[in-house]
Parts: sequence; C-alpha cells; structure tokens
Amino acid sequence: MRAARGMARRVPAWRVPVGPGVVIGGLVLAFLLDWRLVLMLAVWLGAWGLNAGLARGAAGGSAGAVTGARVAVPVIFGLTLLGLWELAVRLYEVSPVILPAPSAIAVAFAANTGTLWADFVQTILRGALPGYAIGCGAAVLVALAVDRSRFLQRGVMPVGSFLAALPIVGTAPILVMWFGFGPASKAAVVVAMVFFPMLVNAVAGLRASDAMQRDLMHTYAASGWQELVKLRLPNALPFVFNGLKICTTLALIGAIVAEFFGSPTVGMGFRIKIEVGRLAMDMVWAEIAVAALAGSAFYGLMALAERGLTFWHPSQRARMR
Amino acid sequence: MKHLTLGAAALIASGGMALADAHADTVNLQLQWVTQAQFAGYYVALENGYYDEEGLNVNILPGGPDIAPPQVLAGGGADVMLNWMPSALAARERGLPVVNIAQPFVRSGLMLTCWADSGITEPADLAGRTVAHWFFGNEYPFLSWMSQLGIGVEGGADGVTLLQAGFNVDPLLQRQADCISTMTYNEYWQIIDAGVTPEELVTFKYEDYDVATLEDGIWALEENLADPAFVDRMARFVRASIRGWDWAVENPDAAAEIIIDYDETGAQTLEAQARMMGEIALLVAGGDGTLDEAAYQRTVDTLLAGGSDPVISAQPEGAFTHVVTDAALAN
Repeated sequence: MRAARGMARRVPAWRVPVGPGVVIGGLVLAFLLDWRLVLMLAVWLGAWGLNAGLARGAAGGSAGAVTGARVAVPVIFGLTLLGLWELAVRLYEVSPVILPAPSAIAVAFAANTGTLWADFVQTILRGALPGYAIGCGAAVLVALAVDRSRFLQRGVMPVGSFLAALPIVGTAPILVMWFGFGPASKAAVVVAMVFFPMLVNAVAGLRASDAMQRDLMHTYAASGWQELVKLRLPNALPFVFNGLKICTTLALIGAIVAEFFGSPTVGMGFRIKIEVGRLAMDMVWAEIAVAALAGSAFYGLMALAERGLTFWHPSQRARMR
Repeated sequence: MKHLTLGAAALIASGGMALADAHADTVNLQLQWVTQAQFAGYYVALENGYYDEEGLNVNILPGGPDIAPPQVLAGGGADVMLNWMPSALAARERGLPVVNIAQPFVRSGLMLTCWADSGITEPADLAGRTVAHWFFGNEYPFLSWMSQLGIGVEGGADGVTLLQAGFNVDPLLQRQADCISTMTYNEYWQIIDAGVTPEELVTFKYEDYDVATLEDGIWALEENLADPAFVDRMARFVRASIRGWDWAVENPDAAAEIIIDYDETGAQTLEAQARMMGEIALLVAGGDGTLDEAAYQRTVDTLLAGGSDPVISAQPEGAFTHVVTDAALAN
C-alpha cells in the first residue's frame, strides 16, 4: 500500500493534459455547435474532477479516507456512465427500439421481477449450474486420469481441444434434438463449453508441484494417494480456480445462447429472443442486467472460495495484507 | 478537444449531405427473410427494369433469422420494410411509428401442421398437446387463436405446451412436438421433402378459422410520409413492385429463375423456388396493393384478443394510409 501511495504522488494519472483555458474554449465553441454535447461533456468532466479530487484527498489521508475513496470512486464512475447514457438518450431523443434509457430499463425490471426470476431459475439454476458442475467435475476427474497416464495425456487432450473448437451455433441445435427442449440440453451445451478450459487448467495444476517437492514426499515414504492429497492437489488449486472462474462466464453464455435454438417458453435466452422480436428493448436490457448480475455474483463466489482455500498462495497473501 | 469537435461536426455534416444526395431517388427495401420466392415481386421489378422505368434505384436488403426489420427501419438502415402486420403493429405500440403503405399479400399462408396419427382432427383437440412455434413476432396469431379457443399455452392437460423452435421442422419430424407452425410456401414443403406424405399430416389453415392476420405488407416511417417527395417516391416504388408481382404470378417459373440469380447464398434450388412461387401466387393474386380495411380490422381484432399477454393493448390509430396506393394506382 505504501508503495502504491508513493506512485500516485509521482504520476498524477488523473490530470488532464491540457490547460483549463483550452477546455473552456473548447466547451464554448462546442456549445455553439451542439449544447447537448456540451451538457454531457460537462457532466463527464465534473464527475472526473470529483473522482480525481477524491483520489488526491485519499492519497494523503488516513486509512479510513482511503477505504472511503476506494468505494466512492467506482460508484461515482458507474453512476456517471448511467447518467451520461440517460442524458444521451433523452437529449438526442434516441428511439426506445434502438437504445432505451437506464430509467426505462429499471422500470421494466421492476415491473417484471416475476418473469425475470422464472427466467433466472430456468436458465441459471436449471441450465448453467448443473452443466457447470458436471463439466468442471468431469474435467477434474479426467485431469487426474490424464496426470496418471501418458497414454491418456496424448489421447484425451486433442479430443478436449476438439470439443472446445465446436461452434456453439452448430452444437446447440443438435443437443436440443438429443436432449429435448428443456434445461437438459442447455446443461449439455454448457458441459461442452466448460470442459476443455477446465481440463487444461486442472492438468497444468497437477503438474505444478516440482520435482524437489515430490522427492521430499518420496523420502517421507508417502503413498501415491498421500502425495496427491497433501501435495499435488493443494498445489493445483490456484490453477483449478482459474479454470472455475473462466468457466463461470462461459456457462452463463452457453446456457443463454443455447436457448436461442429451442426452448420452452421460459428462460433468459428465450426472453431476449422474443422481446427483440417485439422490439421491447427495455426488457431485453433487463435480462442483460440479470445476466450481468448473476455472472458477477457467480464469479465473486468463486473468487471468495479461492481466497478461503488458497490463502497460502503468494498471490492471495499479498492481497490479504 | 477543439479539433475533435470541429472534425466530428465536419464529418457529420458531410455524411449528412452524402446521405441526402444518395437518397434522392434511392429506395432501400428491408426484406423480412432470406432471398426467396416470398419476395419475387420485388426481384422481378428490379430484374425487369420496372424500378428503372420509375426512375428509382432500389436496393433489396435480404433479412434472416436475427434481423428485425422494424429495428433496421428505426436505425435508418432502410426506407421501407416488409413486415407481418402483428409484428409491425407491436413495433408501433412500442414507440416506433410505422405505417402500412401497401399490402401486396391479401391472404395468410400460416398453418398449423400436426401428425394425423396423434388423433388431432380439429383445433379443439390441441388441448394437452405439444406445439412447436417460431418466436420472433411470428407467434402472435397462434397465441390469439388459442386464446379465442380458450386453450391455455402454459402446458398441462387442458393447455398447449409451447416450444420455441428454430426455423425448421425437426421438432415435428422427431416427434418432440405433435404440431408445428408452417407456411404454405415454406415449412410445409420441408416436411414433405423429409419423406412425409400429405396423408400422414393434418393441417389447419388460419384463413379457414377466421384468425388469419395480414402478412407481408410494405411499411414506412410515419415522419417520412409527411414529405410529399417521399410519398411520390413510395408511390412509384409500390406501382413498380405491384407490376413485378403481377408478372411473377403469371410467370412463376421465370420468377423462380430470377430469385435463383439474386440469391447470393446459393442455398435455394430452382425446383423449390418454382414450387414456392406457386404457393405465393395464391396469397398475392387478386390484390392491387391497396390495404383491405376489413382484413386490417380482422387482424387488429385477432391481436387484441391475444390472451393474457396481448401483442397490442389498444386499437392502433393511423397505422395505415391509402395515400401511397391511391397515388400509385392513379396513373
């Protein structure tokens, strides 16, 4: 932390590389051309200034000020983006079928929480999560087998990369034919999507313990099982969590996109598809918001689990301090 | 900052001028599906020079499964679009003021096709069955029909279990569904081509049950119709297009050849397009492009009866105009 604060003093990254005169002159000129643009620029510059001030204040302040700024700065940034979006849509009278305002999306979200929840349950809880668990679980088991056998290593890895190379637009309709219109086919698509990234990471993880460590276990007369549980698996965890985190987003994408190719009349992908057809873009964006929230929460859960299980790893130790 | 703003302004200005020039007598037509005989009239008018004779430079933009024509129109990508009336009216209620300026298709080609051995002989038998339908604004007529029959679409013993299918007939062929929505000119023949005989199927035409909604119509943005020059351009476009349709109906095989020539994907075959043209001819024959107000009202009534989640909630106002077709037919 101390080092970071020093850096902030030496390189004021927030500073505008032009003088205030140029900025004001530019604003006045732009105002003559398009006052709406100027209003948006002013909001943007104002929020920028506010954040820059907060960052500067925190850099020289107490630990509390640092924490406060750390929370406030991203929140202000996010709110500014939403505000600019709202302003742009309203000032330029953008058609709601091209881009709805965030406020309209919020209204659609609030008015359709029941539908959004049903879609969430169908797509995430019944499609993405089982597929994720099956795909990642199978990949770890296969990785253990691959780690044991050079034969499998040569045979399975190419098959895995082949699976990963299958385009989802081709596999999804086929899997719908095989597993029906329900969530089973969506889970199958997710399995196909997450298997290989997880496998590659798990195999790399199992190789992460070096020869010295294995020799040490050998001198302790550790059995193969003991070596696996006490040395190789813990060492593999950082890699495994890398894979798990990558796969969270892949699972969401897979489950949503798969619904485009056949589904019952519920689900996030289904809803996005039919609402685009109805030009109800506010509802489409509400579903996108659900997907983004679910994806972030899912990823966050994995990151938390990682922090709990790999607390000993240098990358986590640095963060804990 | 200064340079950026000036540069952007100059860019917008020059872009606007270039756009205005090119738009003088250009018509960009957005189709609602891929190039096929469903749009033969427009391709014939292009190929036979009917548009040229009207002094028009027409660009035909093919659609596809993920292209919503109203969105293209709203984004300025096209001057005029082909759209089914249910989806266009839904777009209108959603805040995109589109207006029907001509209606070349006077009959609906929508059908529901079921396996005969499923025991379905009349629409009331659909309760408790599984129906596959495409969803992209095409599902409204079905939902309205079920609502009028008092059959729910939430599944169960008394309702229809609805599946959202891709634009193919696999769910029926694999018996994942008892029935599937078909067009007289498209999906029905996919089933036949898959080796199924017509005797094995039971087909319900929406036209026969008085729940038909108007299909391929020509739609433009309301704001543009305030401009007499635009109306004149549209009148010439509609006149040439209807001429193209008349020719296509009389010369189905030659029209199919033209479609094949314009199909850039190379996916269509002459035989299938000639057959499709025969079916399409049945839907356009007898029309002169003028919207039949009775058919319009039936479409609106069907949509308003659309059950718990109706497509449109209020009687549309000003959703069609005869100005263009009147001008087109006047001379």
